Amino acid sequence: MTSLKDAKFEETFKEPQYPWRKRNPATTFTNSIIVILPVTIFALGFFLTEIPGALLFILVFIPVQIVVAIFATIWGISRKQVGDAILSVLSLVAFSFVIALMGSVLFSVFSRGLPAISISFLSQNNTYISPTTELGYGGVGHALIGTLMVVMIGMIISVPLGIASAIYITDMKGRLAGFVRFMVQAMSGVPSIVAGLFILAAFILTDISGFSAFTGGLAYSILMLPTVARTSEEVLKLVPKDLRDAAIALGSSRARVIMKIVLPTARTGILTAVILGVARVIGETAPLLLTTSNTNGTNLNPFVDAVATIPVYIFQFLGSGYPTAINRSWGAAFVLLSTVAILFAIARIVERSTKKG
Amino acid sequence: MNKTKVAKVEEDMISMKNVRVPSSPQDVYPNKPGDANVHLETQNLHVWFGKRLILEKVNLAFPENSVTALIGPSGCGKSTFIRVLNRMHEFIPGAALAGRVLYDGQDMYDAVVDPVNIRTKVGMVFQKPNPFPTMSIRDNVLSGLKLAQMKYENPDEIVRTCLERASLWNEVKDRLDASASSLSGGQQQRLCIARSLAVSPKVLLMDEPCSALDPGSTRRIEDTIREISSDMTVVIVTHNMAQAQRVSDYTAFFLSEDGAPAQVIENAKTEEIFKKPKDSRTNDYVNGLFG
Repeated sequence: MTSLKDAKFEETFKEPQYPWRKRNPATTFTNSIIVILPVTIFALGFFLTEIPGALLFILVFIPVQIVVAIFATIWGISRKQVGDAILSVLSLVAFSFVIALMGSVLFSVFSRGLPAISISFLSQNNTYISPTTELGYGGVGHALIGTLMVVMIGMIISVPLGIASAIYITDMKGRLAGFVRFMVQAMSGVPSIVAGLFILAAFILTDISGFSAFTGGLAYSILMLPTVARTSEEVLKLVPKDLRDAAIALGSSRARVIMKIVLPTARTGILTAVILGVARVIGETAPLLLTTSNTNGTNLNPFVDAVATIPVYIFQFLGSGYPTAINRSWGAAFVLLSTVAILFAIARIVERSTKKG
Repeated sequence: MNKTKVAKVEEDMISMKNVRVPSSPQDVYPNKPGDANVHLETQNLHVWFGKRLILEKVNLAFPENSVTALIGPSGCGKSTFIRVLNRMHEFIPGAALAGRVLYDGQDMYDAVVDPVNIRTKVGMVFQKPNPFPTMSIRDNVLSGLKLAQMKYENPDEIVRTCLERASLWNEVKDRLDASASSLSGGQQQRLCIARSLAVSPKVLLMDEPCSALDPGSTRRIEDTIREISSDMTVVIVTHNMAQAQRVSDYTAFFLSEDGAPAQVIENAKTEEIFKKPKDSRTNDYVNGLFG
């Protein structure tokens, strides 16, 4: 080796390198044939013929994949590599299927909802608006506020209860832990309209309260509680027993072990539990029809009078059948999706900033 | 384990419950110097998990500011025994015990005793390093004081002294605010020792503290044990015979034979246990002939 080459070799050590990212060109070539050929044939068949995709998948894709795999083995590619390649194709197919599903939902909401979106659509309410009024007038401002109020009330009730019951099951290990877990599980099977009916019967028909954001929040909390409790329980179980032992051995009371060690350690997971709880309910329409009713004006008082919410707004305008009204519904669906996305993003940012502290 | 034996032991327990047994070190621990100031001892201790008797008739006394090593094959109840000594045993479902554990002459299992107080006096270091991952190095050292709601002044001084005693100060003095999980295994274990020292316990129980560590970290922890034993009683479970000889003043040998409940076969000064054991089983064990 010449001295020049040595110098060059030395030079390469100064930069971080990733030798494991290099691929063997021969393997890459054969693998890509194994992977690409069946997919191409499947895609051609799907787009150029009228044969349904599922049939094509079973009758064309899988046989072609198997034949290619057999030939690949005959050509001397090791069986392990063929197995790896096939598995990666199958998981890629499943992955693309999920992405395509989600993508088409997002795409239809975006493409149909976006034209309706404007500042006035977000800020104005529905007073003096009929199903045929043009999109420039009126909006979902009142329903957005209503949805946020109802979800917030649902959270205020169900999050502490959910976390407390999770603590009871995992940390206190109370005598009724099994029963509580069973009840929580049973609650997650309660249909949303039943939750609405229960609140209607217990609070509204008994004249304890009228239709209001509060009663809507109560109905939501019934639906959120099992999700929050179950997820928190799973998360609290992941906190190592060692940490609890360490805290107890330092002379900590059990309340302080939970407050200072267990909950902070499980913080991220508990946030996820809350997010899942919100995601569970935010689009629920049936319980709100029975508990918040609907209104065209903005109602900022969560305890008195009916309040509009986005799911009910969508329901209201979709039912009228006029094209502008349907556009309004799509716009409202877009607002609902964006609200969820923004709430989740805020939660993640908050979580990340507290983690560093 | 037959039932009649259990019943008989329980009967014994009941009959001796109201009798004040004089806690003379000579009685329960014949190899101790008579003037040793014993402040932690067990009298006729029996331990069960469910209906299974694990430990039988354990009479051990730990003189003040001494180091006692507990040796014996795996599964013979050494870890269970030290968990009894700071009332962590009761967290295991099905756990039961009979007999007494005296701390400063007071039975720590008496109904009037607050277990939380006992645990601040009798600290514990675990087999696996378990610093609190959400806290910085500094906060880990102070965590005991905060968790036990103790009043303290001059936190920086406490952090420095405790880390110095655990011989970790020099390695972490520049990054006290870094997360505890950024430390190596050996450093984490020393941090756990520093954390236990911060609440100034009178007794420190160590459950195989070096079993997961490299020789260098083990050495430092052994130095720490020697150092803290100047004003602290240390009880250490170890499977390392050389370690027991290096760090301990006294050694107790636990053995459970053929599934029978474990007993203390022999306890004496460490030299005697290793040089001229009285029991042939002790001799076999310390010389590596079984276990």
